[in-house]
Amino acid sequence: MGEYSLLIILFAPFLGAIALMFVPREEAFLVRMTAAISAGISLLASFYIFLAYDTAKGGFQFVQRYVWSEELGIAFYLGVDGIGGPLVFASAILLFAGIFVSWHIKDRTKEFYMFLLILAAATIGVFMSLDLFFLYFFYEMSVLPMYLLLGVWGSHTKGYLSMTNPEERKLRDSIGFIFNFGSNSKEYAAMKLTLFLSAGAVVALMGILLIYHLSGLHTFDIVVLREQAHFSDNVATLIWFLIFFGFASIAPIWPLHSWSPVGHAAAPAATSMLHAGVLMKLGHFSIIRVAFEILPDSTREWMWVAAVLCIFSIIYGGLVSYFAKDTKYVIGYSSSSHMGYIFLGMAALNYISLSGAVIYMFAHALATSMLFAMAGWVYDQTHTRDIPSLGGLVERMPFIAGAFIVACMASIGMPGTINFIAEVMIIVGSWDKYPFQVGVAVLGIVLTLAYMFKMMRGLFYGKLDPEYAHALDARQWVDRMPLLLLIVCSISLFIYPWHFYEVVRSTVEPMVDRINHVAPLITQNTKGLLP
Amino acid sequence: MIFQLDLSVADLFLLLPEIFLTLWLCLLLSLDFSLKRMTHQQLAYLSIAGLAVTGLILLGFDQAGTTGALFKNMFVLDRMGIFFKLIIVGATALILFMSIDYVRDFRFFRGEYYVMVVMSALGMLFMASSNDLLSVFVTLEFSTFGFYVLVAYLRDDQRSSEAGLKFFILGVFAAGLLAYGISLVYGETGTLIFSEMTGTPGSYGLAIGYILIFAALGFKIGAVPFHAWIPDTYQGAPTPVTAFLSIAPKAAALAILIRMFYVSLASFKPMWVLLFVVASIFSMTYGNIVAIAQKNIKRLLAYSGIAQIGNIMIGLAAGTKQGSDAIMFFLLTYLFANLGAFAVIIAVSRVMKSDEIEDYNGLNRRSPFLAASMLLFLLSLAGVPPLAGFIGKIYLFIAAMREELYTLLIFGLINIVISMYYYLIVVKKMYINEPTDSSPILASMPIKVAVYVGIAGTVLLGVYPGPFIDWAVSASLMFSNIAGPTAAASLLPGG
Repeated sequence: MGEYSLLIILFAPFLGAIALMFVPREEAFLVRMTAAISAGISLLASFYIFLAYDTAKGGFQFVQRYVWSEELGIAFYLGVDGIGGPLVFASAILLFAGIFVSWHIKDRTKEFYMFLLILAAATIGVFMSLDLFFLYFFYEMSVLPMYLLLGVWGSHTKGYLSMTNPEERKLRDSIGFIFNFGSNSKEYAAMKLTLFLSAGAVVALMGILLIYHLSGLHTFDIVVLREQAHFSDNVATLIWFLIFFGFASIAPIWPLHSWSPVGHAAAPAATSMLHAGVLMKLGHFSIIRVAFEILPDSTREWMWVAAVLCIFSIIYGGLVSYFAKDTKYVIGYSSSSHMGYIFLGMAALNYISLSGAVIYMFAHALATSMLFAMAGWVYDQTHTRDIPSLGGLVERMPFIAGAFIVACMASIGMPGTINFIAEVMIIVGSWDKYPFQVGVAVLGIVLTLAYMFKMMRGLFYGKLDPEYAHALDARQWVDRMPLLLLIVCSISLFIYPWHFYEVVRSTVEPMVDRINHVAPLITQNTKGLLP
Repeated sequence: MIFQLDLSVADLFLLLPEIFLTLWLCLLLSLDFSLKRMTHQQLAYLSIAGLAVTGLILLGFDQAGTTGALFKNMFVLDRMGIFFKLIIVGATALILFMSIDYVRDFRFFRGEYYVMVVMSALGMLFMASSNDLLSVFVTLEFSTFGFYVLVAYLRDDQRSSEAGLKFFILGVFAAGLLAYGISLVYGETGTLIFSEMTGTPGSYGLAIGYILIFAALGFKIGAVPFHAWIPDTYQGAPTPVTAFLSIAPKAAALAILIRMFYVSLASFKPMWVLLFVVASIFSMTYGNIVAIAQKNIKRLLAYSGIAQIGNIMIGLAAGTKQGSDAIMFFLLTYLFANLGAFAVIIAVSRVMKSDEIEDYNGLNRRSPFLAASMLLFLLSLAGVPPLAGFIGKIYLFIAAMREELYTLLIFGLINIVISMYYYLIVVKKMYINEPTDSSPILASMPIKVAVYVGIAGTVLLGVYPGPFIDWAVSASLMFSNIAGPTAAASLLPGG
């Protein structure tokens, strides 16, 4: 049973999506329950692998390998290490929470849940692929459902809605493909997101194909490649840059971030949660999985690029968040600013900072998805995301306001949430190598504090507009449960982080040693797994 | 050259699929004339039954490993030929399913329609087996003849007549080029059979001759710069005929291209690799960019077809056994996705009475089944996992990567992103836009059969391609020692 956990986690949502095809669309409750059950199975199994991961042994565990095409050197090869495991767990949590957050979607419920399940399953697939082909396969597969989720169930921005003249709208949609902030339609956001991510993906694909061919091994197997692939310096640098920028576009690193806040803003709540929570981590994760594992020398040589770009990510994202007026833009830009911390942790390349980066990926997934869930709740109740026109909502929705404060605290990195541990680890770990960037990161925390408080005050305090006097609090268990789940996860991991830390450490330490030439790769026993 | 036809009955066994289909064709024609009470549906199902038997015979040959050559090597039956013939037979059978509804609206010549379709298929079966230039010419004309009639089948429709005329004039022109090219090649080599031409020294006559032959075949597959007829013909022709045109003749012509370039021109490989690289880059880029501006769904698929031919030529440019395997696998994926998409188009345009992309507004609300299947087919064409088209493209890219054709790869990858845009525009209309008229669109049973087959193929080839890849690999074993990039003979004297 245990060794098949990964298959269960991966295929439960897929099978759920297939089962949904046969559920009549009038039976909305049945549709929701089907989705919730398949996500629940996935969540339980991923909790199991998170707990059962053997930290003494390290390496890839729960391995499954099936030859897919001998001719092309592709195997359906699954396994998680201390980085993939927690992220699989995070994806499963967010999917489960997301299904309850979107409980009240009325329009084409069946299709919504199908695409949501496919999106989450594909994301989970990336985190457990040990074959470059399947890593790309699932990566690309996660992009397309986003298009439909944003386009069909998303929402336009206020700026767009206030344009009543169709000519003006047409002009707005067609020009300024990159610099078109603040006033755009959901269709525009969806298309921009899909094309940006596809463009990034094909850049990474070029790198993957180069690894496949120039290593001379003609296999996509990451375990084989990381032990046997050798490239000349120039080739390795070229491949490293293709892989880094290809995957960093989803991360998103400045200056490749512009699709992301637009996409967050347009997306329905559950999609934003998955998107900001785990989809963006596909970028960091794939860089770690491909570049750190297969090209350790180039990683040591060139990772400073990430340390330079993360300065812009942190400051730029933070400043835009401070001045943004749309709740989802604030959270979206704050996410892209916080992604800078992960890059900083990755760039410093030592035990503490890289572990911190991995834990931060998990922590940020919980914190930002709480924020998006509640921004979605507020939007559903008031039909606006415009902060200045809101206010005083604490009278109407005390539970949401309370949870929102916890989420803001988590996002800032206050002690009490797992984010605190992660931030401290990144800052402490990077201090030796990048003191300037650490200064920027601390400034970023101050900025986070500023815009989070500003948003909190704007939404929940001050005078209540009578227009929103009918807004409702989350009273039913389906509405409260996802938020409580996320809060409980965040706090309990702060109280008891040891297992989590050991899981991450067991993978990060050999990886960092190998990159820094301290020790060769601790080869795990792959007998019987290799072709 | 004197042909002595000393055939035994055992030799004719290799021709069994073609002979059977010829007899069946006669039967269909005579039934249509003699039995007045016979409806066109019955005739359609009879044609499908005939094709099914042909397909079964071919499968039997494939299993039994029956191979051989006839008529002094003019006709060759090998596993690659069988593979292409199965694609052609399968495509034709699906086309007939899709045609049943469409033909009901014809006022005249319902029965002849099926006869013409099966006759073109018969010509293409011969094409897939032709092994010398003379049989290339004869079989190509044989199969095109049926299409000239089919494209102009809507007699009273101006567009259809226009399409027929354009197709005819350019087709005849291409035939002229082909004949001229063949005569030049024959003059230089003294033979018409592919396998006997290997090792001929290069000369200008030979180079020009082959370029002319390439132009004629390029016209068949619709590669840039020989694509000009494609959009108008696709738009004007009856939609099932468009679907037929979009896959079957391409498969047959590719069989000839692979045979000709891999066998008779193997020693000149570096030169024709360049030819295919250039043609591939132009086809992909032109097809994809122009497709963005289309308002008509059939034109959109016409340009997307030009781009897909560009993708297929990546495999020819690789010029290796893996390249031809990739082409064969890609054709399988293209067969299901493209025919499926046309089946949906036929179902929608029967209700909407036009083929504009605007007609697809809110299709998800009007018919969730048709919208979801169209979504699958378009995403497969765009190359999105886990669908068949993705594996096909990756296979082609791997073949090109192993030959280190970096420029071609970069263009291929960029084109994936470009093509994503216009396929998503159609997806947007179907899922995001609201319908102007929300009456449901129902698909009839035969159309549904075609759509279900398309879905099954698209998904199966995407998630479990192993056996099909192995099939393609084993079907082209004869190319396993094709010259690598080091075979640097020049097609030009002193070059």
